[in-house]
Amino acid sequence: MNRILAIARKELLHVLRDPRSLMVALVMPLAMILLYGRAIDMELRELPIAVLDLDCSAEARRLVEGISAGGFIVVAERLADRSRVEPGFRSGRFRAALVIPAGFGADLAGGSSPVQLLVDGADAATAATVAAYMERAVSQANRRMVPAGGRRTAALLDAELRVWFNPQLESAHFIVPGLVAIVLVMICALLTSIAVVREKETGTLEQILTAPVNSWQLILGKIQPYLLIGAVDTALILAAGVLFFDVPMRGSWLALTGYTFIYLLIALGLGLLISAVTRTQQVAMFIALTVTLLPTLLLSGFIFAHAGMPWPLRALAQAIPATWYLRTIRGVMLVGENWHPLEGAVLLAMALGTIALAAALFKERLE
Amino acid sequence: MVPVLRLVQKEFRQIFRDRMMVRMIFLMPLIQLLVLSYAANLDLERVRIGVLDYDHSPASRRLVEAFHAAEPFETAAHASGEEGLERLLVRGRIDLALRIPRGYQRDLQAPCGAVVALTVDGQNSMLAGQAAGHARGVLQRVARREARLRGWDLAAVDGGIELVTRFFYNPELKSRRNIVPGIVVLLLTVLSAMLTSMAVVREKELGTLEQLMVTPLSARQILAGKTLPFAALAFGELAFATVVAVLWFRLPLTGSIGLLASGMLLYLLVTLGIGLLASTVSRTQQQAMFTVWFFLVFGILLSGFFVPVENMPDWLRWLTRLNPMRYSMEIVRAVFLKGAGFADAITQLEALLVLGVGVFGLAVLRFRKRMT
Repeated sequence: MNRILAIARKELLHVLRDPRSLMVALVMPLAMILLYGRAIDMELRELPIAVLDLDCSAEARRLVEGISAGGFIVVAERLADRSRVEPGFRSGRFRAALVIPAGFGADLAGGSSPVQLLVDGADAATAATVAAYMERAVSQANRRMVPAGGRRTAALLDAELRVWFNPQLESAHFIVPGLVAIVLVMICALLTSIAVVREKETGTLEQILTAPVNSWQLILGKIQPYLLIGAVDTALILAAGVLFFDVPMRGSWLALTGYTFIYLLIALGLGLLISAVTRTQQVAMFIALTVTLLPTLLLSGFIFAHAGMPWPLRALAQAIPATWYLRTIRGVMLVGENWHPLEGAVLLAMALGTIALAAALFKERLE
Repeated sequence: MVPVLRLVQKEFRQIFRDRMMVRMIFLMPLIQLLVLSYAANLDLERVRIGVLDYDHSPASRRLVEAFHAAEPFETAAHASGEEGLERLLVRGRIDLALRIPRGYQRDLQAPCGAVVALTVDGQNSMLAGQAAGHARGVLQRVARREARLRGWDLAAVDGGIELVTRFFYNPELKSRRNIVPGIVVLLLTVLSAMLTSMAVVREKELGTLEQLMVTPLSARQILAGKTLPFAALAFGELAFATVVAVLWFRLPLTGSIGLLASGMLLYLLVTLGIGLLASTVSRTQQQAMFTVWFFLVFGILLSGFFVPVENMPDWLRWLTRLNPMRYSMEIVRAVFLKGAGFADAITQLEALLVLGVGVFGLAVLRFRKRMT
């Protein structure tokens, strides 16, 4: 036990002495939560559109006012003719154009009148949001001017909508728990693999091996400081999420700690595994980035939903630890469900598998 | 000129001797282009609904069928009770729960109409709002059909302002069309910034930079020799990625190729400058890689790659103006999808010119100071 602690102390000194690694380990997670928590938002906020009003009636003015009232959409430009629409899309000055035809006000008095919405569809997600927002604005305008004796289809069948687990649809509630998964893989797998390979490169690993420690003690000692850093990072992210982003904690902290500890072991195991099969820091770093970080960012469901992926990618996603961890951490924090037997079992199997494999490979390489 | 060419030749030889480097330059971009394009999908797809039908009437069955037939919904489960439906939501088996109350068919005739209950799993805030909107759309279509079945006069029912929407450039609204040109920019950035910084720092690490310095090469020539190979490789990659985007992903590429090339040339000035800057502040390749990586993690987020810049809060939107990746992404997307020419991209070109001259100039200054 003393030997393990001695190695852990040595490793911790290494980390503390290198300010840049320490910055990556502590500042990067905080910067990520600040930016990712705020920036990832699909709600419209002052989206610029253009208006081409060929009618100039009071009704047309009222329609435009109604649309821009919420602050989600702002009228950035008033166009003089239709040929100005596409140049605006091409240069990105506005994302949609509302064309109110001549005679709009007069037609409306007679019953119905069409209005054209031209949308820059290049960014599909924004385009869909703009179109849906305009539909809603127009149907609200319509509801205000029900013709005498008329009945609207909207009144025929309506929905009482409830949103569970995230009623305000706050994107931070979705993103922040996911960041724990990202940061743990980034910090633990990356730093651990580099730390071990560095000793290989500089030859100090062999010096340690001549000391009376076996490979298990060496591994246990080496991963302890990174276990600590991982725990500190998790605490930082969760504290920032709960305090500054109002992310709810509906389940139990104990369950969350349990799942996170298992996931942390997987990340460390992956780091050791990478260090066992590589010889230079550069290669270790490259593998850590492409094999662990990129798949975790892209395929785990952190931002991009599995439902939108083709089946080979969805199958690949099942092999990524973060896929399973994200379900448990979101389940505990947002849904309030502590009991995830399937996910827990898969994570545990992955943790035991990676660490056992890493230890076996390590031993083989060392002897 | 000849000494610079010799240096470029040496650099190329070094790159192609390293199997790892060759893989990083040629295989990685292809994998990234394919995997990223298919993974980075923000479209609403496969929304699983759970149904709890208390009415068991022909009308309620028509409603359920309408949901099942509508994109992107698919009926995943029929619950037999309130608790079962809630379990399905909590367990994550369904994304949307539809409750049809007893008397639904009767209420459709009533003056106040019928009300069904929709419960959405809101965890994924980006998709939940869209799913709710689509569900309302389905309900509206069902209402129209029910009205027609009962022989109501639709002209009297509807009316008012009628919105006719047309989507330019991407009528099917697939986010992939927007993601692919963005990935082209990402690939160029990674290649030029990361490899430049690592190539310079490697010579520092090995001590060969000092050997170069004692040769009669000037600092400017050494700089040219270190950046030109990566600029050339980046352009090769741009051509390759463009071919993949057009042939595999069927992007139209209707805009000006000249704009694409000149925009990317200015952008390369920035990324090569960042690579050089990173190399002046790093002693090891690992540090250089970390520094560039740090820039990438935040540069990508603030470039509009997958989150539109317009949606960000003011202070972040202001930050994006300093981000060269934002402008290059706008140019590449406008050329690929919207048929843009030089006149459409003047703001972006100006910004890239300013950033390019600034960053590259700073890098050259720092580099020369280190050399002398």
